[in-house]
Order: sequence, then C-alpha cells, then structure tokens
Amino acid sequence: MQWMTNILTGLKSLFHKQQVENELDEELESYVQASAAEKVKSGMSPENARHAALVELGSRNVVKHQVWSSRWESTLDSLLLDMKISLRTLAKSPGFTAIALLSIALGIGANTAIFTLIHQVILRDLPVRDPQQLVTFGTSTGGGILGGVDLGVNSMFPWSFAHQLQSNPGPFQGIASYSSFAPTVSVLPPSSASAHDSASSAVLVRAVLVSGNYFSVLGAQPLFGRTINPSDNTTPGSGAVVVLSEHFWRQSLSADPDILGKTITINRTPFTVIGVMPRQFHGIKLQIDPAALWTPIMMQSVILQQPSFLGPDAPYFLEMFARLSPAASTSRAALEQSQLWLNQQIHAGVRATESGTISAARQQEINRLNLPLISAQRGVSSMRGQYGSSLIILMAVVILVLLIACANLANFLLARAATRQREIATRLALGSSRRRIIRQSLMEALSLSMVGGLIGLGIAFAATRALIAFVSQGSTNTTLSSTPDATVLLFTLAASLFTGLLFGLAPAIVSARTGAAGSLSSNARTAQSSQGRASRLWPKMLVTAQIILSLLLLVGAGLFLRSLRNLQQQDYGFNRTHLLLADFDPKIAGYKSTQMAALDQQLIDRLSALPGVRSVALANTLPIQLGTEQSSFKISGYTPAPKEDMSSTIDRVSSRYFQTVGVPILSGRSILPSDTASSFKVVVVSESLAKHFFPKGDAVGHILTIDDDNIKGPWQIVGVAKDTRSGNPRDKTSFPTTYLPLAQIDPWTTAANAFADPAPASAANSTPTPREENQDAFASSILVRTSGDPAQSATELRAAVRSIDPSLPVHHIITIHDQISSLMTHDELIATLTGLFSVLALLLTTIGLFGVMSYNVVRRTNEIGIRFALGARRTTVLWMILRESLLLLAFGIGVGIPLALGAARLVRQQLYGLGAIDPATCVTAIAVVIVMTLFAAWLPAQRATKVDPMIALRCD
Amino acid sequence: MPAKPDALSQNDSNSSELVQGTLEMLILKTLALEPMHGYGVALRIEQISHGVFRVNPGSLLPALSRMERAGSVKSEWHATENNRRAKYYQLTAKGHKSLARETEQWQRQTAAIARILEAQL
Repeated sequence: MQWMTNILTGLKSLFHKQQVENELDEELESYVQASAAEKVKSGMSPENARHAALVELGSRNVVKHQVWSSRWESTLDSLLLDMKISLRTLAKSPGFTAIALLSIALGIGANTAIFTLIHQVILRDLPVRDPQQLVTFGTSTGGGILGGVDLGVNSMFPWSFAHQLQSNPGPFQGIASYSSFAPTVSVLPPSSASAHDSASSAVLVRAVLVSGNYFSVLGAQPLFGRTINPSDNTTPGSGAVVVLSEHFWRQSLSADPDILGKTITINRTPFTVIGVMPRQFHGIKLQIDPAALWTPIMMQSVILQQPSFLGPDAPYFLEMFARLSPAASTSRAALEQSQLWLNQQIHAGVRATESGTISAARQQEINRLNLPLISAQRGVSSMRGQYGSSLIILMAVVILVLLIACANLANFLLARAATRQREIATRLALGSSRRRIIRQSLMEALSLSMVGGLIGLGIAFAATRALIAFVSQGSTNTTLSSTPDATVLLFTLAASLFTGLLFGLAPAIVSARTGAAGSLSSNARTAQSSQGRASRLWPKMLVTAQIILSLLLLVGAGLFLRSLRNLQQQDYGFNRTHLLLADFDPKIAGYKSTQMAALDQQLIDRLSALPGVRSVALANTLPIQLGTEQSSFKISGYTPAPKEDMSSTIDRVSSRYFQTVGVPILSGRSILPSDTASSFKVVVVSESLAKHFFPKGDAVGHILTIDDDNIKGPWQIVGVAKDTRSGNPRDKTSFPTTYLPLAQIDPWTTAANAFADPAPASAANSTPTPREENQDAFASSILVRTSGDPAQSATELRAAVRSIDPSLPVHHIITIHDQISSLMTHDELIATLTGLFSVLALLLTTIGLFGVMSYNVVRRTNEIGIRFALGARRTTVLWMILRESLLLLAFGIGVGIPLALGAARLVRQQLYGLGAIDPATCVTAIAVVIVMTLFAAWLPAQRATKVDPMIALRCD
Repeated sequence: MPAKPDALSQNDSNSSELVQGTLEMLILKTLALEPMHGYGVALRIEQISHGVFRVNPGSLLPALSRMERAGSVKSEWHATENNRRAKYYQLTAKGHKSLARETEQWQRQTAAIARILEAQL
C-alpha cells in the first residue's frame, strides 16, 4: 500500500509543482529563523545570527534541488522536460522531422506487417485449452482420398482404424479424427429451404467431417449452443447435425440469434444447427480458405457426395490427432511411450489388412513403420509450409531495411549533434552532467521512433490487409486478420524502442564526448574539421553499412526476381494464353452418372456456340493444379522391374481437350468425338510415359490396364501427347500421365469393388444394390479456349451454364494465367516485396550518402578554401571528395558481396533455375550500387569545386 | 540512500563524520521523543552528541523527505513557540518499528565490532 500512496503523492506533487516549491521555501525560511533564534539565544545580535544561519544553510536552491531529487518524481519530471525540449527541437526542423518520421514509419510499418503474418501463420497457438498437449499422427499436411497403401501413409487413415483408436486411446487423453480435406458443399439457409429459387440462394462453402470427440479432444468451446459429441456420430447416415463457424453464421445467416435447432440444407440434405464456434476457431487444420461447417463423419456420403467410406476396406480419408497425457506433454520418456504405443497400433493395423501369411521381409517392413507424433500446438497449417520460409526471408529483408533507415537517422542526428557542439559545450560549462546530455539526445531519438512507430502501425495495418488479400487471392473469409493483437502491438513497441536506441546511441555518445574547451573557442569550425578523422568515422561507417545492406537486398531481389521469371517463362507444355477455366459440380446439383454424357455434350455444345470461343473441353482436373489423381497401371507384354514405379496421373478428358488446352500430339491421334461408350476404349499417354516404356517410339497400339476398377480398361494407346507441368511449377520432372476419354468411362461400376456396404449397422437394410454409380464418370472442370481476352468470357460462361441448369454450380472461374500465378504466390510475394524493399533501401542509402558527403564538404569548406588558395586545381578537389565516397563504395562492395553470397546460400531453396551464386545478379547489383554512389557523391563534390577561397577563409 | 559524507560540516575540529547510513536512524531516534521541526532535529542531534555530529539542512531535509515518502514519518504544519509556522515531523507506527529494528541491528553490529577490537589476539 505504501508504494501506492508514494506514487499518488509523487504524482500530486508533479502536478502542483509550484505548491511544493512554496512549501519548501517556507520550510527553509522557518529553518533559518529557528536557527537564527537559537543563535540569538546564545548571545548573537539578531542581524549576525540571521547571517550566520544563512551561511550555514548554504545555497537555498541547492538544498531545494536535493530535496526534490530525493523523490522519484524528479526523474520523471526531468524526463518530461527532456521530451519537451526534444519535441521543440524536432518541431523547429519540420523537414528533417518529416523525412525521419517517414523512414521510421516505413521501416517499422514493414516490420510490423510481416510480423503480423508471421505471428499468425507460424507463431500463434490454437485457441483451445492446453494446446501444447495436442499432437497429430504424422504431418497431416496432405489431404484427399487414398487407397491401397499402409496405415498412416501421407498421415491418412480409414474410418475403421480411427474409430478403433478413438474408443481405446491408450496412453492418450483422447484420439480424434477429421476429414483430411474440406470439400465444398452447397448450403441453403433455413429461410430459403422451401423457396423455388433455392438454387440461386445456395452458397458454396467448405465443410469438415469430424469424429464425435473432435471438439472435446481439441478442447474447443462453442460460442453458443453445443459442439458435436460422440452420440451424434454412431450410425452412418444419421446424426445430421452441424456446427457453424462464426464467420458463416454472420455472413450467410445474418448472425441469426435463434439459429440453434433450425435446419439448413447441405447438399440437398437437411441438417440441424446445434452450435456456433467462436470467431478465432478454425479447427485444427488452418487453411487460407477456412472451413465454415463441421458435421459428424457419419454424414460422409452426403458431404463428400461419394459412396460410403465407413465400411471395411474403405479408402483412407481421415487425419488423426490426439491429446497427450499431461505427463507425456512434459516428459520425454512418457512421450516416447505414447509414440511406441501408437506405432504398435499401426503395426497391428497393417498386419490385420494383410491377406495370407506375411513374408519375413514384409514383416520387417511393417515393424519399421513409424508414425511420428507431431506437435499441433499451433495447429496444422498448409500456409506454414507454403509461406513460412518466405515470411522469414521477408522478415530478414524488412529488418535490413529498418537497419538502413536507422543508419540514415543516426547520420542525420550525428550531423545535428556536430552543429550543436557549441550549445552542448555551453551546457557542460554551465554544469550540466554528460549523463543528462546523453539522456536528452536519446530522448529526441526515442520521440522520433515512437511517433514513427505509431504511424508505422497505421502503415502496417494497410500493408497487412494488402498482403492478406494477395495471399488469400481475394477471398473475403480467411484465417488471417490484419487487426494487430497484443503481441503485435508489443512487437511494434519493442521495435520502436530498439530503433530509437539504435539510431540515438551513437549521436548521444558523440555529443557527450564534446570537449567543453575546444568547442567554445572562436574558431570552432577549424577545430572541428581538424579534429577530423575520429569524428568523421561514425558517419562513414554508417554509410558503408548502408552500402553493404543495400547490396545484400539488391542481390536478394535480383535472385528472387530471376527465379520468378524463370518460373513464369518456363515451358509448361501447353498454351498459356486465351484459356479460361472453371469448376462445376454436377453431383451437388443432383446429377446421376448416367446423365453425365448428355450433360457434358450439352455443356460443350452450348459453350462452343458462345461468341469468341474457339474450342471447349471438359476434364476432371485443370491443366495445372496442386493435387492430382494417380493410379498404378499395367502394360500388356511389359514385365515391370522390381520396385519399378508403375503409377501415372489419370486425367479424364473430353474430346478436343488437347486442342483446347494447346498440348501438342507428338504421335498418333488425340481423343476424338467418335471415341464414345460404344467404340473400343482408347487412351492418350504422355511423352514421358511413352519414352519410359516404349523407348523405340512404338507406344501407339499397345494396351494398358489401370489398377482401379472404375477405369480398368483395357485401353489401347492411340496417341502420345507432349509432357506438361500439371502440378507444382517447380517440379522439373514430368510425371507420366494417361488421358482417358470421359465418354468411354462406364457410368456404373460393379458393387464388388466399390466401398458399397457401409458399416454393419446398416447392412440390415434391404437388398444390396448390385451396381454403384461410377464416381469417375463425373467431370468437374470446364476449359474454354477463346480468341480474345479469356477473362471477358467469364460472365458468358456462367450465363451459358445457368441456361442449361440454373442449379448447376459453377465456381472458381479463372484464366490459365491466374491459375498458374496462384501456384506461385509465395514466389511472387517474395520477389515483389524484396524488389520493392530493395528500391526503398537504395533510396534511403542514396539520401544517406548524399547527406554525409554534403555535410563533409560543408565541414571542410575552410580546408578546401585553403587548398584553393594554395593553388589546388578543381579536378584535384573534385577527386579528393569523390575518392572518399569511392573508398567507402569499394569497402562496401568488398564486404557486401561475400556477405550477399553467403546469404544467398541460405535462400537456395527459394530459388528456381539459378544457383545461389549468380554472376549476372551480382554484377547488376554492383553496377546499381556504383551508379547510386556516383550519383549521390557527384553533387557534393561539384559543390566543393565551387568553394570560393575568399569567402571560405573569411567565414570564421 | 545512505547519508553522504558531506552530511556534517567540517568547520569544527570537534565534529566527526557521521557513519554511513546512520542519519535516518538518528532522525528516527530524535523524533521518537516528540514531534519537531527540521531545525529542531538538527539541533537535538548536535546537542546530544555534544557537537560531534552536525547535520546540515542539505542532507537533513532530503532525508526527511525520503522518510516521509517511505511512510516512517509524517508531517504537519504547526505554529512554533515564537508564533511562526513550521513543518513538524512526527514518527508513524511504521517509523517506530523501523527505529526499533535499526537500533537493534546497530547495537548488534557495534557490539560485534567492539568485541573484535577488544579481543586479545
């Protein structure tokens, strides 16, 4: 309590300084009187007594000062005074202040913006209870539907295994599972469920299937309502309940407060809303495009629009995570126990799926299977993999920019400190302490950096918004947010403080070193310029540092820009102009596989008739996208070598596909309209497949079968198409691809192979259907080659599809150019931003160099005047000044280039098509820095040659 | 803060340096008898010590201010015997406690020092 009264009294006396002062005066006066009275008592005359008392007291002001400084508020008071002085000095030179604030604001703003993203993508914990206890089984960064592999491959699992571990979590507090991807579903809000124009009010959002204990293991509480619990998740097809994300509830349901218990329609099936999650909750898997709904895994058929995956031998589509026991989250040994237990479960699970006796080799292979427990404290994030390293590189870049800005400010302040030497010397002579001078000088720097940081926060907010818009590609709902939170604000504060200290310290020390005697003498200027080298060392070092940092940034920007250009300009194997792509989803609209042939034909006919359209095709994937369908195959008459990779990407395409996408046919023919369900089955294979299996170039005519009963074949090879880049643009090797005609895929598939029978629970219902819809008969991509700008045809495409069936959803309409860009956003991000920042850095360095050189010329006016008077020629003086900057330049390049090369090695992973040591980039960077130096030094050097010796010498 | 060496005037050959850190204890002791104003404290210390310790206002007043902030003394304005206004300092309960503590500590230390000095080595 005492400290509180102390603070209160302190503050009170701070605000009533005059009163405190008066009181002190009065106390002193009474002291003197009492002392005088005492002396009178012992026999002095009153005048003498008072005089003696005053002498004993000494300087009244000193006593008052001592009392004042014995209190804590005096420190605060003098700090406030220092700040007042600083602000006044800054206000006196508005030009300097504006430039300084701008460069700090830009530097801190850039740092804050990048840090905001780093914080959200890399550093932030999941908003759940004890997130440090969460682990995923494997990396869980993939996603999809997988079959014919061991448990845990790509961290994916079938329902049966997930369910078994869920009911027996061993050493874990709980084990839960969720669909490894978030499929797009069509949702009708409750109000329009019965309306006629239901199709148009449907929204497409992402849904995640979760196990009954997903939310409880995750430790997530709903905003209101309840989450899904195990009783919702017992019988396939039942438990049609849904938990909404806060964003979906707000955007699509107008934040209806009575939403609980209402029914929304998902993929034409009614679901009861049971809860809404808080705004920060996005599930365990964080994606740029987050999930809007969570439903029980039992609703898989409805959500995925696929046959049931819940029976035995079903494909793998789940990812799993667990909550460690409190012991395992702190002790290594307990964690290893959990790991061991999990691996045992995996081994047992794999053994159970093996048919017949297991060979010794296979047994060993099984025993070696290891599924690592990976911390999910911060969630599973695809963004982290995609943008993590880019963001860290960008953080390094913005720190460099901030350092360059600091160097500039330090230089400006040094120059000002030099011009204020007389003032400082006067203050020292009048008894001010050096500490006080350092403090005031630092205060000036800190005021600058704090105000700059505040402006920077605004810049950061705008910049983060722009960055998020770029990263999320225009999507309005992302897991990223540009609003700074406490951590970000703290970071900005720390960055501002650090910046202020960094650029304020050198000038503060230099000004405190000012000798009182020298600077007060009349010829201070000569003294300054002769005191020479030492005082000019600081600015020179700072400028050299700036040159080095600029070189680093320029080399980095060069490497990244060239990588991006290499990525953009490489041969993709198809024509990258005039192609418009779109996704459509006939299953959501309720189409059956038997209706697909007619729908496909209708789409092709209607779209081909559009003006400006040259060719139209359908396919199951886009010409280039992440994630493809793959399957192994056999070629009749070819015996694969042991362990030979016999897999290929499967593309199911309509006729005119190759013509539309612009993939050249190297031999044979393409897929034609005459390849129909009734004609014999044909296939076009890619160049790499043909070359590998038919090195003699006789691929055409051979027969292949695919190890997937839906599209088994046999298929006869009729043509070979050029290789294309169909996935990550950085993958240099082309994966073998087979192109099957959509029209020849049977709309039905035999029940034997399909994952038809759901869990035993529902096996009791009627006779099993002998055949299933073949999922592979559905196309999902529309490809349109246009004669003009493809983006212009987007609305027509949408209208044309609507005219066929208004309920057929078309989404993600994108030009091929944008589609390729979307696969290299992090390359674009890093190249653009590094380029931008290096220009900024160059600009700052130019200003810095110019400032230092100009100031040096001014300082040396006397000396130059004397040189001229003694007969120096203009060129000699010009060279003298230029030489100084060229020396700095040479030193900067000498240190900068090795540093840049070292730094480039660190970012090797991010480069494409060039090594870390790229001569062209280095030479360009050096050239740019040389031009910059000459440009910045030329004007001051010119000014030096114009010094009039008469004026220069008369000056002092 | 301990009292500075300049806490006493050295113009008198009779006076000696106040031992570091004892000023506040002496003030506490002086005030324990009755509330008094600043000069009264200085005078009392000088008289009781027979002029060995002379405390000047440059250290006395800051010390009183510090102690007031620390809550061991409180002050009030009163009329003096000559009908002038003066600031009277008075010991608080906390001040009494710290006086007892410091006295006890001091006696332990001086006794120990004395034993060391008188020891027959």
